[in-house]
Order: sequence, then structure tokens, then C-alpha cells
Amino acid sequence: MAAPCRKMASRSFPQLLCYFSRIAVGSGACRRFSVTPIDRATPRASTAADRATSPWSLMAAVCLQRLPVITADCSPIEQRFKQMLQQMELEKSLVSDHELRLMEDAERMSRRQADDYDSDEEDRGDQEIMMTQDLEDTWEQRLKNFQPAPRVRADVDKDLSSAQRCLADSLVLLAEQQVGAERLWLLPQAAWQEGETLRQTAERALDSVTAAGVKVTFLGNAPCGVYKYKLPKAARTEGSVGRKVFFFKAILADGAPGSAPTAPLLWVKKSELQKYLKPSYMMKVDRFILNL
Amino acid sequence: INQSLNTYKTLEALLLRTVRVNMFLSFCFVSGTASINERQYRDMPTHGIGRWRHLLPKQAKKKKDRNQQKELVSATDTAYGTLNVKVSGYDMTVVEHYSQYIHNLCNRLNIKVAESYALPTKSTEVLLMHEQGNKTYVDGVLKTHQRVVQLSSLNASLCPVFVDVILKNQPEGVQLSVQEHTEADYQARFKARPELEGLIAQINQ
Repeated sequence: MAAPCRKMASRSFPQLLCYFSRIAVGSGACRRFSVTPIDRATPRASTAADRATSPWSLMAAVCLQRLPVITADCSPIEQRFKQMLQQMELEKSLVSDHELRLMEDAERMSRRQADDYDSDEEDRGDQEIMMTQDLEDTWEQRLKNFQPAPRVRADVDKDLSSAQRCLADSLVLLAEQQVGAERLWLLPQAAWQEGETLRQTAERALDSVTAAGVKVTFLGNAPCGVYKYKLPKAARTEGSVGRKVFFFKAILADGAPGSAPTAPLLWVKKSELQKYLKPSYMMKVDRFILNL
Repeated sequence: INQSLNTYKTLEALLLRTVRVNMFLSFCFVSGTASINERQYRDMPTHGIGRWRHLLPKQAKKKKDRNQQKELVSATDTAYGTLNVKVSGYDMTVVEHYSQYIHNLCNRLNIKVAESYALPTKSTEVLLMHEQGNKTYVDGVLKTHQRVVQLSSLNASLCPVFVDVILKNQPEGVQLSVQEHTEADYQARFKARPELEGLIAQINQ
């Protein structure tokens, strides 16, 4: 079963057109994505001679991540540094057009109020209809009327199955799947079948676990991690000693997945993964999930 | 008296020697003033001993090829071809810093960066309707800045890692897009030349 790795290498890679945009308060809690694959080469059928029998059966799993929607809060030292930099920038900056106009208007007012004011002396251009101060007041009024959405919603944060929780962190999708005799929490996986690439297997795994209509961008054709385990002695046969699971990274595009899945889903942060995954599995998965 | 004589003789000898040296120097100086650029030590027999560039065959000087198009790398089985990582947004400092971050990341990961350029800024005027009337007024002008980092080849196994890191570090208000580089993209950077187009139209008529 060493064929699939060779197959992957010998296939020409589909070209990806990915568009990612990050807008803080956009519609929905996800970044907008669009992917247009240009060339998708059809898989070349492997000859029987290629395939060497190996006791390991292959599976592909998908590490679906929902990227953070809002910026994380700054630590105290970061806040102090930020304030210091802002102050430095303010002190080094020049006066803007708006501020210049404000100063000119204030000067004009003070000149008008002086006793010896001669309006003919004043060389006026076109007299502004709106004074600059009034403009500023209207802007302030509009700002007060604007209600931003709350950054942290405690009740949504606690709901582990919602994709809207913890907007400042990146979340990973976990699904409860039947492995052997028991139900375990792990990254959605599916067994590899003849004639498909491992990435297609990963896509199938994701489709089987989430509802249809979920827009997902796979980051590449190469897996980012592997986990192999041997079956318990009772289940071992001549042909299969264990399983190798290849992980593929994917990013959740616009739209939270509608949860009408057969298996329960969880969206967890990297720090919470330990509670749900088995230790040896966790060690391998830990390596490729970035906690930036 | 002998001693003093001796000292006088040595002094004299010294003076003569110095005078001779001075005369020697002044002699050289006299010959050197023929051209101010001539340096004195050209009379040394070992002058120009290390020169070798005059022995090479003459190379014709290339005209400036800075603006020539770099060849488009085509995709192979294990690597993507020429990719354009386009960063755009309203805030120029953020956009530029992010594109610099991507460039530095590529350098660190040994991804070859073919080019790194900026596309022209697009200005968008935001017009709002007056509350009471039908007329619109200019609320503000938004400028969209775009920066492109062109990667010559990206290893397919490195691609998911690279894109993941870039995405996780994407700042707010910045749009990221990864596309293939095409000939059309390159031609779009040039300004339109109306006279040339007019002449071509005349020829074709």
C-alpha cells in the first residue's frame, strides 16, 4: 500500500486560487474565502505492478480550523508599549488639514470678537457654510449612535459545539467517531479507497461528518502530519497490522457549518485539545496545529 | 675640536643627504606636474603588478535589464509555479508591514522570492445621501493599497505550513489572496500608451 504516496507525488498539482479577507465586524463569524481551482488533473490509474502489499491500511483525516475573527487582547506589557508608541507617534506627527482648519476658524472668531474688527480687511475666500467645529460635532454624534457588537459573549464561549465561540482564538473541529470497538474524539477521518488521492479521502471524511454546504479550503495536497497505530492483538490479521492516518489542513471559509451531522461535533482551542484526545494521538496532532 | 669637527662633518653629511633627497623629490615633483592626475609611484617598477582585468576579452555592456520580465516558472509535480501573494487594504502601514513580514518569512523558509512590487493605489470616494435631501455629499476618500510578493516556486509540502502561518498572522482590515502569476498580470502593470495604440490602429486600417 505504498502506492498512494507515490501517486501523490506523480500527479500534477491543482493550482489554487485562494482569496482570504479578514474584516473585523463582517457578516458572520468567519473570514470570507473563495477558492477557484484552475487545473485539476485526473488521477492516473496505477498499474497492479505498482502496488506492493503492506500490512498498514491508510486513512486520511482533516484538521479543519476556524481562524480568529477579532484580535486577541493585548497583555499588560503589550498595552503599555502600544500606548507609548501611540504617544510617540502623536508627538512626532504634523498637524492635519482638519486641525489646521479648526485653528484658522478659532483665530477668525477671536479676530471678529476683537474691538477693532474691520470685516473688509479680512481676505475671505468662499465663506464656509459649515464651521469646522460643527462638522466635528456631527461626527461625534454619529459615533455615539454607532453600537459595536460585543467582543466576548460568555454564553457562546461556553457552548463547545458552536463555531462562534472564542472569536479571538483559532478553533479546531473534533468529531466523535467509532474506532474499532469504542467511540473516540478525534479529527474527522475516513479510510482510503482505491483510485482516489488522500486529499479526496480527507474531503470525504469532512463531508461525512459535517452537513453539506460547508465551504472549506484545503491548504494543499501534501499532508501536514501522520499518526500510526497498531490494532489490538485480537483484531490483527495477516493483511492488516495497523493503520496510518495522514492529516490534511483546511480552513473554514465563510459560513458556519450547519450542524445537522450524524456525529456530535466540537470546536476546541488548542489548549482544550488535551481533554478530548488520547495522549499518543495528541502528541502527533500537537505538532502541526499552530497556536499563533 | 676633533669631536666638534666630527659632529660638524656628520651634520654636513646629513644635510647633504637631505638636500640630495630633497632635490630628488623636487625633481620628481617637477616631472609630475605635467599632469595632476599622475601619481608619483607610477615610476615604481612594480606599479600595476596585480592588474588582470585588461587581459580578459571585452564584454559588451548590457542595457539595463531591470525591467525585463522574469521567466514564468511552470508548476511541476512537487512544486507550484510562479505565485502572486497579493496583500491589499486601506491602511498603508499595515499593508506594507504585512507584505514585508511575508517577504521575510519567505527568506527564512528559503522560498525564492522573484519580485516584490506595489500596484497603483485605487481611490474610492464614499458618497452618502443627505438625511433631508436627495443630494449626495462626499463623506470620505478611501485609498486601497496593494502589495504583491511574487514567489518563484513553492514546494508543495511547504505550502500548507506557509499559508497557515500567513493566515494566522493576518492583521485586521487586510485582504490576502494567493494566485498564479500570468502574462496578463504582468502586462496590467504597464501604463496604456495612447499614441502607440493610435499608430497601430492606423497601420491596421
